[in-house]
Amino acid sequence: MSVELFVTDKAGLTKFYEAIISKNETYAPVEKFGKYDFKRVSSFDACNPDAPIAQTMSAKPLFFPRSAKIMKYTADHSGTSVKETDEDSLAGKRVILGMKHCDARALQVLDKVYNWDYIDTDYQRRRENTVIISARCDKAETHCFCTSLDYDVEHSDAMDVAIVNGTDGKVFIEARTEKGKVFLKEMNIEQRISNNEFQVTDETAPAAVKQQYEAFAASFRLKMDYTEVNARLSKIFDSPEFENVSANCISCNTCAFVCPTCHCFKISDEKVKDTGVRYKSYDSCNNGYFTLMAGGHNPRPVKYRRWRQRALHKFVYYKERFGENLCVGCGKCTNSCPVNISIFEVVKQVSETVSV
Amino acid sequence: MMCRIDKVIQETPDIRTYRLKFKEEGIMERFNWLPGQFVEFSLLGSGECTFCIASSSTRKESFDCSIKRAGIVTADIHTGLDEGDEVGIRGPYGNWFPLEDLKGKNLLFVGGGIGLAPLRSLIQYCIDNRADYKDFTILYGARTSADLCYKDEIADWRKDPSLKVILTIDKPEETWKENVGVVPKILEEVVKPVVANTKVITCGPPIMIKYTLLSLDKLGFAPKDVITTLEMKMQCGLGKCGRCNIGSTYVCKDGPVFTYEQLKKLPDEF
Amino acid sequence: MDYTNQIREIASKLFAEGKIDVFVGYRMTGFDENQVPALIRDPNEVSKLVFTDKSVFNLTNYLKQDHTRNKRIGMVVKGCDSRALNLLLTESQVKRENLHIVGIPCKGVVDENGNKMQNCIECIFPNPVVFDEMVDGTPTGSEAPPYQVNTDIQNIAAMDLVERRAYFEEVFESCIRCNACRHSCPMCYCAKCCIDQETSTLYHGANTTSSAFHALMTWSLHLAGRCVDCRNCEKACPSHLPLHLLHKWNEQVIYENFQEHLAGVHEGDRGAFYKYSMKDPDDFIM
Repeated sequence: MSVELFVTDKAGLTKFYEAIISKNETYAPVEKFGKYDFKRVSSFDACNPDAPIAQTMSAKPLFFPRSAKIMKYTADHSGTSVKETDEDSLAGKRVILGMKHCDARALQVLDKVYNWDYIDTDYQRRRENTVIISARCDKAETHCFCTSLDYDVEHSDAMDVAIVNGTDGKVFIEARTEKGKVFLKEMNIEQRISNNEFQVTDETAPAAVKQQYEAFAASFRLKMDYTEVNARLSKIFDSPEFENVSANCISCNTCAFVCPTCHCFKISDEKVKDTGVRYKSYDSCNNGYFTLMAGGHNPRPVKYRRWRQRALHKFVYYKERFGENLCVGCGKCTNSCPVNISIFEVVKQVSETVSV
Repeated sequence: MMCRIDKVIQETPDIRTYRLKFKEEGIMERFNWLPGQFVEFSLLGSGECTFCIASSSTRKESFDCSIKRAGIVTADIHTGLDEGDEVGIRGPYGNWFPLEDLKGKNLLFVGGGIGLAPLRSLIQYCIDNRADYKDFTILYGARTSADLCYKDEIADWRKDPSLKVILTIDKPEETWKENVGVVPKILEEVVKPVVANTKVITCGPPIMIKYTLLSLDKLGFAPKDVITTLEMKMQCGLGKCGRCNIGSTYVCKDGPVFTYEQLKKLPDEF
Repeated sequence: MDYTNQIREIASKLFAEGKIDVFVGYRMTGFDENQVPALIRDPNEVSKLVFTDKSVFNLTNYLKQDHTRNKRIGMVVKGCDSRALNLLLTESQVKRENLHIVGIPCKGVVDENGNKMQNCIECIFPNPVVFDEMVDGTPTGSEAPPYQVNTDIQNIAAMDLVERRAYFEEVFESCIRCNACRHSCPMCYCAKCCIDQETSTLYHGANTTSSAFHALMTWSLHLAGRCVDCRNCEKACPSHLPLHLLHKWNEQVIYENFQEHLAGVHEGDRGAFYKYSMKDPDDFIM
């Protein structure tokens, strides 16, 4: 995939964002109580595409809603009728601004599970209809470790258009996919070039982008070798260490709910009189009821077993099944954890108890 | 797809068999399943539950689900559903018993309680293709005589001289004239199965499966000749919701039918 | 505020004397300046313990877990934590003889940006109300400032009902129903919670604003007269919802109407709804 690279400045970028918002159904991080969540925006002032990762919720709900109506039904004496819901978010083309690398990458990981065997058409339609414009990070935050995982952060095509801050107030705009190129055309890139808002880049630009990436990669404090972690974790199902590391977990579901790659859900009904809705909502393996069966049998009755499932699903099982780690190193779980448990620390600590 | 309940059979105090037919014409003909597969049974307003199909596709005018009253949805099913009512059915999902591998073999079925339901589908299938298989032995146990399912059908099986049916209950009862003792014990002491050219198919409560597998090991069955169906909490049946994961295995897609050999390779979480 | 050395000494002493099986305190996360709760079972790991103004989480939450159940526990408590502990003792959730409580004369803890937490600024019980020993010997015994109503509660009170409803709908719209609030609450120990998904028949767990509204309102009413204002819930909330508004509102209503009741301040005080007086008002009941 060849890359289209343009350069502009802060003002040009703002104009570009404004144009996107006015012409498209746009979603971007919107602040509320000091936390950013991706919401529909109608003006650039309302959102902040450069919101820090720690304070931003994942954009996952735009593809896999926290609670989706999967069907509606009426059941009365005359019989039962079921209809598919008119879920609006399935609708048309939309653009997401300010999605971070890791968050966009998570969707590629999720594609694997949603597109094997039964294909989740709702998810797929949302994926196809969405143009992702990422804001690339300049510097790693406290809990970030995306560069330690199995994807090429530098050349990721998880986003359609990547925005990279250069030095001297330069901003690079890079179309990473065909969809991104088409989108830039739609946004009158040529006119912007003739207006001098955007400039076509010369041959030094890729080097400047690369340099920017290298500075970014150098800012990481948390580093691990994921192949080693995969190998070690796959051997320690019976390790007593899981009990130690999970001791201070309070079994809330926050880590899974904020995780951009967690995809477990539950199906529940809500019925009032004769009409009802069936929902598909987030669920978490940290929840004690997750695998509790009606007869009372629970294969994971205690906390450390659930924790082990979570850690191993992320770093062993998903890898075995779909070839990817079910973790993108965004650190959202650690940021949101009520007791500051770090998945990075736990995985490291557990894996260090065995030799390769 | 909506189904109408054709018949309700009260098997035991807490197990009912629901005989279902698709409401819409023509779906029943197209609805094909193999023994071991399951459906998602939904009672609108209460939720969905996973049940195996307890009858064989060789008897296709309807299909059965045997449901034990255990949780919220099953309680609602028991109290709320009767003949003529409608339920939603999705499926069939999951894998099936390795029918090809069973051909030309002696079959030993070991069932406990509601665990006879998936076996019944296979037993019916094998009876209807009797020529393909050799000797049949069915060992079936329950806590009490009242907890034995499919009593009428078992009586029919007994009329067939080529089927050997052995029943057992856990504790002695006054009127009970057959075996007393837990399934693994009877398996070792009474059934004493021939190991050569025999496949064992077992299903029951987790604790029974656990000890039955140990007994079979002791009797000399190779793990690859022991087939079981797993119980695991499921919700979507589509390999998405992540509930039924055991290691990297999705029980709803790669199972519920596993050989003991396969189970040994899975993490110990079932 | 740094009692790290004192706490390490006390914990070592308790282990050496064989008085405890597990010590519940705080340790550094190992990669940033934040702290994680630590359940120390090995006397050699006592040196991991710390206590500073970053020691935020109310540790009494751990009394309901498998790791501490029926064990002899040493535990660090701040003022608000001790009120929770007092209530748990009153409600027979823990046995007093199993506990060795190390009290902290708390000067307030700080949030992730280093600012003093709002509840600490308004705190009227910085010193533990129940303890076996204080880290610095004796409690300062300073007089508690009088109870006062927060400004944000006053703001809510100033709204009419329609406005108030609209405001809370706006708040609950951001709820993701992860139930971290309930799980981090030291006073929530029900094995099956009415707002918790899966077991609940009232709230099926669909994440809609109305279900969040009902779940959180019900939850806050179950904590009315029991909330000790430690704000574990608010700190746990991934959406940063101002959950204290619900609890402080209840606290204020109960304080004003039920003989100035504050949760967990006195040992054996079972709570507002257990005390009956002819003088109790009934005009706030619909």
